[in-house]
Amino acid sequence: MGLIKNIKDAVKKEVKDYIFQMVEVEKENEKKPEQPSTESVQKNIEVKAEQPVPKAEEKPVVKEEKVQPGKVEEVEKVVEKPRKKEIYPISNDLEFVRVSYKKNQDVVTIPKELSELIKMLPLEEYACFVKLYCFALEQRKNYGYWGGTLKRRIGLDNLTTAEFEELGNNLAAYGLLLLEQLTENQKTFVLYVPFDEDTMVKLSTAKKPEKEPGKPAAKKAEKPAPKAAKTKPEPKEEPETQRAEDIPGKMVEGMENDEMYKSYKTFVSLEIDKAKMRVGRANFDKIYMEAVKYIDKKYGFKVLSDSDKFKEYLTNYYISAFDIPTFENWKKSKG
Amino acid sequence: MLQDIKILMKSLSDIDVRIMLCKSAFEWELLAKKYNALRDEIEAFCTSGLPEDVETALEKTRAYLVEKKGELPPLDLSDFFK
Repeated sequence: MGLIKNIKDAVKKEVKDYIFQMVEVEKENEKKPEQPSTESVQKNIEVKAEQPVPKAEEKPVVKEEKVQPGKVEEVEKVVEKPRKKEIYPISNDLEFVRVSYKKNQDVVTIPKELSELIKMLPLEEYACFVKLYCFALEQRKNYGYWGGTLKRRIGLDNLTTAEFEELGNNLAAYGLLLLEQLTENQKTFVLYVPFDEDTMVKLSTAKKPEKEPGKPAAKKAEKPAPKAAKTKPEPKEEPETQRAEDIPGKMVEGMENDEMYKSYKTFVSLEIDKAKMRVGRANFDKIYMEAVKYIDKKYGFKVLSDSDKFKEYLTNYYISAFDIPTFENWKKSKG
Repeated sequence: MLQDIKILMKSLSDIDVRIMLCKSAFEWELLAKKYNALRDEIEAFCTSGLPEDVETALEKTRAYLVEKKGELPPLDLSDFFK
């Protein structure tokens, strides 16, 4: 009996140990999958702590880089849109007349009719018009060459050539300025001024180019000047007086015997020589080439092939191109 | 008539060749005068109006002349101011 009891106790002990072992193994098995998962979580946390942070930083940067230019473009587009808006003429029935003022004006007066028109202009165009108006009174004529010299003389140096061109085109689109493309690089303008018989002399009427209403003027300006080959063979001869008056800086005729006029001719000759030195030979040749094209286009080939007439027109061209004072202005400066 | 206009056109192409060889204002003036005379002759010949190809040829020569005058040394204006 004692032996059986001992065996019984031993079996019990063995079973207990086995069960404990089994429980421990199970516990260990349960713990083992948990540990790696915690480790992996920890690793993940570490990795996330390292990687996602820069990612989180990079992403917005990348987004910013990609988005910002787009936004800038959008902003630019928004800014550009108003520029492309169509301009409608303020008035369609204005008559563009080339005038010369009879005498120097002490006061710059803007007729009410004109002030009513120009007050509808945007600020920049308004300023440009008023400057041109004052300039017209100062030089005693409402027409001339459109370009860098004019820009400088009316005090718009700070504008770029393109901006000044745009202003001119806009004013033309509003119907207050007439721009005429003479050659590829040359334009003339006629400023609208209400004609007043008391103070002005009518020289000629400038023809307004027919254009579709509301069409941006800038597009027209971009059109290249028609080639000489495409021009009509001989433009209709205008009366001599009218043609002469069309030339900005035209010398006053009928003064050939005047001593003053002779000295003026000498003055012009010297000024042309000075200008030649100033601009350089190459540029002077280019100016001469432009003059030839201009005279051919404006006055016809017969003037170009007539040596005397060509010299006269060439001189007038130089007077305008090099800002040489006209006979009247020169006489005044001499007192 | 066809024969005559061909002769006139030949004269025009002769002027074209001479324009290329022209080197002085004096030569240019002679060519310009020739061109003007020839143009008048052609216009007188084609009383019913210039055919399109003839007009194109005349305009082309005129353009050559204008271009050539621009390429020549600028005209001396000293005589003009005396």
